[in-house]
Amino acid sequence: MPREAEPSLNERQFVLKALEENLRLDGRTFDKYRALALTFGDEYGVADVTLGRTRVLAKTSAEVTVPYADRPLDGIFTITTELSPMASPAFEINRPTETEILLSRLLEKTVRRSGAMDTESLCLVAGQKCWSVRVDVHVLSHDGNLTDAACFAVVAALRHFRKPDTSMEGGVLTVYTPAEREPVPLSWLHSPFCITWCFFGDEGQMALLDATWSEEQVRVGSCTISLNRHGEICQIAKLGGTPVEAVALLQCTNVALTKAKEFSTYLDKKLAEDAKRRDKDGLMAELSAENDR
Amino acid sequence: MTTKREPEAALSVLPKSDGSARYSYAGYTVTASVNGPIEAQRRDEHAYEAHVDVIVRPAAGVGGTRERHLETILQASLIQLILVKNFPRSLIQIVLQVEASPENDYVNTKLMQASLNSAVIPALLQTAVLALLSAAIPMRATATSAIVAVMTQDGASRLVAHPSPREIEAAQSVHVLAFTSQDGLLLAESEGDFTVKEWDDVYDTAKKICCKSGATKGEGIEMVLDEQEDSGPDMRQFLRSALETKVAADLHWK
Repeated sequence: MPREAEPSLNERQFVLKALEENLRLDGRTFDKYRALALTFGDEYGVADVTLGRTRVLAKTSAEVTVPYADRPLDGIFTITTELSPMASPAFEINRPTETEILLSRLLEKTVRRSGAMDTESLCLVAGQKCWSVRVDVHVLSHDGNLTDAACFAVVAALRHFRKPDTSMEGGVLTVYTPAEREPVPLSWLHSPFCITWCFFGDEGQMALLDATWSEEQVRVGSCTISLNRHGEICQIAKLGGTPVEAVALLQCTNVALTKAKEFSTYLDKKLAEDAKRRDKDGLMAELSAENDR
Repeated sequence: MTTKREPEAALSVLPKSDGSARYSYAGYTVTASVNGPIEAQRRDEHAYEAHVDVIVRPAAGVGGTRERHLETILQASLIQLILVKNFPRSLIQIVLQVEASPENDYVNTKLMQASLNSAVIPALLQTAVLALLSAAIPMRATATSAIVAVMTQDGASRLVAHPSPREIEAAQSVHVLAFTSQDGLLLAESEGDFTVKEWDDVYDTAKKICCKSGATKGEGIEMVLDEQEDSGPDMRQFLRSALETKVAADLHWK
């Protein structure tokens, strides 16, 4: 597979010199995100997130399986990130790149390890049956800041998702199809969001939010902060790169909190809109049928 | 459960790839990206022609045997369309991402299924052709595809074009056919029990759906009239109009 073209010296200088003059190539201020758009699919649990020219699709699915032997009371929750050649021909199928591994680890830490979803509620019969919820992250177009977009998509998809309803009667487990019973949402505890800062300059003195691909290629370091709207930090990842002043990091965390709040409000708004849309054509009709009886 | 609505297509939806398309019809939504001609890997390099790499990615779960099978079917068809001899030692990479497939509310879907899902082939092929056109890859012809199911009811068989998942489940046999823009048969995949007579009927129906526009233009109204019951849109006309819209939008500045 062809390697991703590295930016030329001219391009590199252009981006850096502009940043020194407090300018970004797309005219944004340093702490501004590109336009964020979220659309839900017709099915439950599909979220399509566009952040500028970056586009990520997350799809949630659930099926009944046997729980892990060492965790009989927990359900299974996995997040799969596989970068296909659709994002860039440099990505190869079945050969994970560094980007892909870092992305999946970060999502794992942010969403799964922070206990965003109550995995115990996925248990159906202790040690025998449980739900296995998986989120597939598909990167359709990669123009920088994959982490934030992917994390937002995963959280949105999981919150939108409905799993089939079940019941236990006399030791017999019944899984109802969508035609029989309206599917139920997952038990969701909090919504963490990733906010990535990129550092530029010799001492990493310039910090940028939501870097594009061309900016990401010339950065000297980056720091991903995952937190929810209550300001509870799930993780901070600063993987190598130029050291950054502690005070500057504190400043970054404060801004990250306001951004997490914005994300949260936006997601809540979109979920409410979607619920309203579904209510109009499907659910209401079903409810009225019940009343007729 | 699926609503029989018109097919929809958008071209060049992904900014980073050479060509891309998003196509949705009969509950299926597929996004495709095409990169090419690009440098081929040593093992894929062919001295006289381009290597066409088709990658099918399911919406949920990792691709398995079923996706590999779909890839071989599509690759064999697309090689016939693309002028591969024009690009020796290079690679044309087609990535097809299934975004949504029609839901069957009466069964809980299993994630991993080994059986062939032929209903997705028309959507995949149509998207691939649109993406190739968007990437301006030289082609011999374009292609249109249709799926026809043979249903048996009270001893009499009935043909259903673009069946829903429930109809496919109940069908006696399911056939996927694709035709080139020169009315040549490109692909024929069949599943189930059927007779030669039934297959001939299926062939005629599919050909009508795939190659209609050429015939109706000259002969006028009576052709349209006796095809009223024949469900399914005119695929070739659809392909043409999708591209016309795109070209008109691109040349808007002129």
